[in-house]
Amino acid sequence: MNRYAPIIMRLGIVLGIGVFLTIVRPEFLTMNNLINVARQSSLLFLVSVGLTITILGAGIDLSFGSVLTLSACILGTLLKTDSFFLAILAGLAVGACCGFVNGALVAFIGLPPFMATYGMLWIAQGLAIMFTKSEIIYGFPDNFRIFGVGYLIGIPVPIIIAIILFGVLYFMLIHTVLGRHIYSVGANLQVARLSGIPVKRTQIITYTLSGFLSACAGIVYVSRMNAVEPAIGDSLLLPALGAVAIGGVSLFGGEGGIGNTFMGAIIMSFVINGMNLIGMTSNWQSFTIGAMVVFSVLIDQLRAEKFQTL
Amino acid sequence: MRSKTIFISMIILVTAFCLSAPGFAVEKTYNIVYTMKNLTNPAWLGTWIGAQKAAAEYKMVNLTRVAPAKPDNIAEQTSLMEDVILKRPDAIVFIPVDAVALVPIVEKMNKAGIPVFVYSNEPAGGKYLFFIGNDDPALGYAAAKYGIEAIGGKGKMIIIEGTPGSSTGQGRQKGFLKAVKEYPGIEVLASQTGNFNRLKSMQVMENLLQRFPKIDLVVGANDEEAMGALEAVDQAGRLKEIKVVGIDASPDAIKAILKGRLFGSIRVDPPLAGYMVVKAAIKHLQGEKVPKRVLVPPVIVNKENASRYDVSYEKAPFPSWDEVLKQKDFVTW
Repeated sequence: MNRYAPIIMRLGIVLGIGVFLTIVRPEFLTMNNLINVARQSSLLFLVSVGLTITILGAGIDLSFGSVLTLSACILGTLLKTDSFFLAILAGLAVGACCGFVNGALVAFIGLPPFMATYGMLWIAQGLAIMFTKSEIIYGFPDNFRIFGVGYLIGIPVPIIIAIILFGVLYFMLIHTVLGRHIYSVGANLQVARLSGIPVKRTQIITYTLSGFLSACAGIVYVSRMNAVEPAIGDSLLLPALGAVAIGGVSLFGGEGGIGNTFMGAIIMSFVINGMNLIGMTSNWQSFTIGAMVVFSVLIDQLRAEKFQTL
Repeated sequence: MRSKTIFISMIILVTAFCLSAPGFAVEKTYNIVYTMKNLTNPAWLGTWIGAQKAAAEYKMVNLTRVAPAKPDNIAEQTSLMEDVILKRPDAIVFIPVDAVALVPIVEKMNKAGIPVFVYSNEPAGGKYLFFIGNDDPALGYAAAKYGIEAIGGKGKMIIIEGTPGSSTGQGRQKGFLKAVKEYPGIEVLASQTGNFNRLKSMQVMENLLQRFPKIDLVVGANDEEAMGALEAVDQAGRLKEIKVVGIDASPDAIKAILKGRLFGSIRVDPPLAGYMVVKAAIKHLQGEKVPKRVLVPPVIVNKENASRYDVSYEKAPFPSWDEVLKQKDFVTW
């Protein structure tokens, strides 16, 4: 019950926000708008999954925006040479490599995850700018654009990708040994090590996975925008952190799951969509999101304390 | 006797050395630092191409560039420029990320006695010897007017604004609104910022498409914004209904215009700006007089004339220094 309480509460919040917005702006409930919101939630979710996993492991991946950008740049450049599969493989490989480097820095060198991924943020960004010589790559073949703008059985592909990813990662985190290890390391690293859990290996896998997932998100973003520029990842870090925090994942690790981020992404997208429908200016939108993050963390904090005093 | 010989020899040697000193003089190189706002907008990279062309015309010019890694970041540009000032270059070519916030830096340059030459965006204060740019209000006015007239002078319009606080954005917004005022049949449904960013503008446009079932025209403060909005409009299947106009006439936009997707853009000619401002700096250092301001008139780029501009910034031709100065209306001495 304890584990699912935050998610159920957030489901209630989602429904509440939905009802409120429908009353204030009836166009919220149109099929068009709902698909729009669902798609935006999916995109936000895709970007936030890697971050979620590293945070569950009591780490953090600040570099995912730049890693997304770098893998997108490689992806875009190779796509222009008409090598569809090579482009996708290279993009994913680059993401995984950057993630691996992060993991190695954390596991073998012992750098705090904050520092390691912060450094990678700058390095990946710089590499992306150097690689593209700051030029924008645009105009991709139609078969590639399926990822971002295509529809499968009437549902936008990003939504399908998000659901598949959700299923796979949920299974991985809850039902596999690796998942258990990630949670243990996140809950208490020393205890995990003393219990015989391969901490270093878990960390490396965690960060490599985060990089890989960033590259996956990159594929969808490039496909949507039909362009690759070195500035893609700039604006993604804060919204992703927002989705994770609003979703109720503890930033200290060990608590929460993919479902939380899923809810967090939906809540954020609902609210942003609502603010746009109402016509709120972007300054107030930033303020609102910030307030929501603080509010979410506060609620979870209070709930946890309440349980502790029982 | 020996010490006297040594002493005289030394005097002769020193005198010979001093007399031949002019022969040892190093050729004077001009160190010019070229500032940019970011490295991600191709328009600014276009200016750099023009700047390099100007420097290449002279043998003794050492041109280096600086730009904040975080695009348009005020704090970063401020600290970058402080470092540049410490190195005492012979001239600084400057463009402020924010017109007001970077004024203290320009004043620091003035205090250090380094001549300042500005392109494209002006700081709100400080002294500089030369400015070349587009009149941002003129650009905004031309873009909005072009779009408005294309939809028959009346209809529903959306404005995607530039980054809040940027002088480019504010200038172009002024131009947009001036055009709107002239056509009472135009209703501005929304005016929201796209942060001069393609992705952000796409997201903003997606939401606005949900909100407004009828839109006739979208005007973006630059091509990045227009292209982002264009993708959103296209994916919503409303490209036939909505005309999208941008500003910059960047290579990407020109391709979109030729394909019939983007309705039009305003040519800004970044290489010319970069070329002229560096040339002004060099001429000043050589003792020539340079005009105070040069404004580049806006050129509308649409399907009819886009193919003429469909060249990369490297290959695009632009007029020479003297040719530009011939346009007396746009030059202030």
